Amino acid sequence: MNLENVYPKVREIIADVLVIDESEIEPTSRLIEDLGAESIDFLDLVFQLEKAFQIKIPRGQIEKNARGNLSEAEFEKGGELTPKGLEVLKAYLNEVPEAYFKPHLKVSEIPMLFTVETFCKLIISALNEQKTAEPVS
Amino acid sequence: MRFLFVDRILDLVEGKSVRGIKHITADCPLIVDQISKPYFIPSLIGETLGQLTAWNVMTTNAFKARPVAGIVHEASLKRPAFLGETILLESFIDQLDDAAVEYHSTAYIHDEPIFTIEGALGPLLPMTDFIDDHLIRTQFKQIYRPGVFSTTHEFNSLFNSPTFRGLSPESTKFLDPADKLRDVGEFRKPEEHPSFSFDRILNSDPGVSITAQKHVSFAAPYFPDHFPNQPVLPLTILLECIRRLALSFIHQANFNAKYRLHTFKKIKMKTFVHPGDLITSTLSIKEHTADLLTLSSQTELEGKRVCVLELTFLKEI
Repeated sequence: MNLENVYPKVREIIADVLVIDESEIEPTSRLIEDLGAESIDFLDLVFQLEKAFQIKIPRGQIEKNARGNLSEAEFEKGGELTPKGLEVLKAYLNEVPEAYFKPHLKVSEIPMLFTVETFCKLIISALNEQKTAEPVS
Repeated sequence: MRFLFVDRILDLVEGKSVRGIKHITADCPLIVDQISKPYFIPSLIGETLGQLTAWNVMTTNAFKARPVAGIVHEASLKRPAFLGETILLESFIDQLDDAAVEYHSTAYIHDEPIFTIEGALGPLLPMTDFIDDHLIRTQFKQIYRPGVFSTTHEFNSLFNSPTFRGLSPESTKFLDPADKLRDVGEFRKPEEHPSFSFDRILNSDPGVSITAQKHVSFAAPYFPDHFPNQPVLPLTILLECIRRLALSFIHQANFNAKYRLHTFKKIKMKTFVHPGDLITSTLSIKEHTADLLTLSSQTELEGKRVCVLELTFLKEI
């Protein structure tokens, strides 16, 4: 499963959730800044993606994926990303232009960075994890 | 008028399921038309099911957080709940965590499902933003009186007996003023029931679209309960306003057919609407076939979209 496989369905679902035309959506579109998504839209989007792809996306999964092997304490302090945390976040969200990562980025501001491609990656990761967990017959 | 509709919680399994009842009495907000007995405002059956679910969520998290209206994939009205009937309410939680609850629910009368909610998603917010801990616990104690009904038949024998059927159509002598249709620009007359309707129609293009406006007033009877610490317009009240606007639209379009409400779909409430706000809703046709009419609704506050949904009406034969 790769970006090309999942993107068309993800774009369709995002268009439906945000009540916009699919033509307004690019892989690099940021959901909040470019497409006008709000917090309820994120809940709805995850709900729809889970149903469409038959996967589970636990809350905070993107942040967890970004954190990788760092502990929570190494990733953020007092709600603000540490320099190391910012570094791993940039590495994970490599589809997001460098300029959007500002210093002293708060954990609560991370969703501002998410693009359509970010969600595609999330789905691919969840599908791969599901496949790994399947018992071998 | 109270805006707490669950009369009694019959049983509750935390985080999983809850059953309760609601009596339809003259104290309830009713629709009175010339066709049938008075009946409970349809969207408020959904409100009752949502409140029932909320009780389960709140007991599960020790009243730390409460769900608020968010998204409903589909809410279907099979038939009205008439004055004198008692609704059996059932709600099942599909997923619950710190951020949100997903659930589905059904309201029954005489074993017959009369209203269903599918794919509901409610964000959880801190309880004390809306109501004090002591008050919400008191409200729960007032209605949590578990009862054992082995069968729905037992339940119906007690609550839906023939002697409890309510008024006959002949005894209803008045038309619900809020269903009266108004012309473009005409303000709602003072004697009409103010809180469940838009105040005036701003624009009407018959058969194409209609736009109406509502001044949200603190005087509305649903605000004391919804909620004491932060009054916000209930989603289901907005749904009723939109339903009535849709009836105006259908009448003005002159479709030469009668339509009855079947479903609310793809409901999304994006932000709270408070007393003092001025909201505008626009309805337009999404689909119109031989058998059904689907309208899209968009409600805005200060130019920002606050609620979207679709309503489907079935043509009556």
